[in-house]
Amino acid sequence: MKIALAQIAPALGNIEKNLELHVRAVEKARRKKADLIVFPELSLTGYSLRDLVEETALDPRSDPVFKKLKAASRSLDIVVGFVEESPRERGLLYNSAAYLSRGAILHIHRKVVLPTYGMFEEGKIFARGKDLRTFAARQGRTGLMICRDFLQAGNGYLLQAGGAEMIIVISAAPGRGSTEGTSFASSRMWELMGEALSFFSSSFVVYCNRVGFEEGIAFAGGSFVFGPDGVLLARCPSLDEDLKILEIRPGVVRSARRRMHFHKEDRPEVVLEGLRRIAQNHDD
Amino acid sequence: MTINPRFVEKVLTAFIRQELSRFGFKNGILGLSGGLDSAVSASLAVRALGASHVIALILPYGTSFSRDVRDAKELAERFRIRSRVIDIAPMVDAYFSGHPTQRLVLKGNKMARERMSILYDYSEREKALIIGTSNKTELLIGYGTIHGDMACAINPLGDLYKTQIRELGRTLGLPPKILRKKPTAGLWPGQTDEDEIGMSYAEVDRILYHLVDLRETRREIAGRSIDRRKVERIASLIRSSEFKRKLPPIAKISVRSVGHDFLYPYDRDR
Repeated sequence: MKIALAQIAPALGNIEKNLELHVRAVEKARRKKADLIVFPELSLTGYSLRDLVEETALDPRSDPVFKKLKAASRSLDIVVGFVEESPRERGLLYNSAAYLSRGAILHIHRKVVLPTYGMFEEGKIFARGKDLRTFAARQGRTGLMICRDFLQAGNGYLLQAGGAEMIIVISAAPGRGSTEGTSFASSRMWELMGEALSFFSSSFVVYCNRVGFEEGIAFAGGSFVFGPDGVLLARCPSLDEDLKILEIRPGVVRSARRRMHFHKEDRPEVVLEGLRRIAQNHDD
Repeated sequence: MTINPRFVEKVLTAFIRQELSRFGFKNGILGLSGGLDSAVSASLAVRALGASHVIALILPYGTSFSRDVRDAKELAERFRIRSRVIDIAPMVDAYFSGHPTQRLVLKGNKMARERMSILYDYSEREKALIIGTSNKTELLIGYGTIHGDMACAINPLGDLYKTQIRELGRTLGLPPKILRKKPTAGLWPGQTDEDEIGMSYAEVDRILYHLVDLRETRREIAGRSIDRRKVERIASLIRSSEFKRKLPPIAKISVRSVGHDFLYPYDRDR
């Protein structure tokens, strides 16, 4: 199986231009025989939307932009980020990720953790997603997360406990902190979680971050893939656009889980009981 | 406080290139004083846009800073960029002949705003976006003239402390005499920033780094064998200069007001 990481720089608030960007990347990936292409968070709209969020929201079940993307997903699976407004919940806008496959929407994940402090204001413009579920895809059970979802350990655990063999994270992570290294200090944080989660869940972790500038903020890039044994399989450069295609063997999840029995030994019912107690009694 | 100057150079040149093209500009313009910050800005602009797309204005007051003018001209030649010298003394003197003052701060502010006014005029003449040269140290302690040297369209150096800019300048290959030059606002001959602020940039930057970047309390910083009075002085400079870092507050009347809840990114793609 071939995975393509589309480390693009979306144009802020310009869906038409971004759709073109997606179609071009999908076409390139298709020619190179990729089976799955992953785009960053809010890849159709750009990130720092503020009041633009209203005019960039769309319903993936009916919008013509999604018709084109769904059509493109007949040749390879596509993960795309967008602002979702569903006709059943008028006025609520979600920061969402869609997994498209064989011309249809296979799964939609709504971002659960909306950072709202300092330079982040997602909680002011988006409604909160409420769940993290896995779903069956061609590579095996798969789970989606969006940017900050990934940094709260409980979310990765839910996908792990839900049987994910591949965890796909789409991201619009700004670069923060200068170091002596050749990337922002914050890039290390994402790889740290990727390495840990892939190893302890014995799953693939596919992380696609964007690049480009919005309002003086540089998105850091540095997209990566870790194998189910915690080994780094690919990394995109920081700051530069990239379309990285790599071959993986989904079957190695099985051998990783035969070696290390984290999955077999997991006790979700104990975690559940513990969490129930903690949630009910905060003083405990 | 450590930076990788090569990585910072990459970020800042990409920033300059992307911001200009987003606003539909090919050319950048900046004031070249002969000092370190504007030399670093010019060097980055040349790397981002190409020498033929960078214009330098050298804006001395009379002949009192002829050495800096010479240095600025040399830098422009070195970068192979177009430059123009405009003496601001006639405009500034014309004003003060009717409104005389001995206060150097009034004269300094007027000079800074005269330079701003000429830069904006040339920005339109040359269809060139103004690249600012204010650094993080100045922005935080308010060591600059509002609507004067702080005015610009984009500010690549605004998140780098003075000491970090010197490091960047070294990597960019600036001449030693520019790197060694004592920072000055150029208000009168012999003036230096460090004399005026009352401590060295190394000290100021260290205090700012702990206070701002690391979010330490003043007490914690004083515990790092830094003079408590200096910490207090820097903290008070930050507080009293907040207005220089903000747009003016707008009195809210309607249900949707500019600056309060009419909130669009300025960077919208067109």
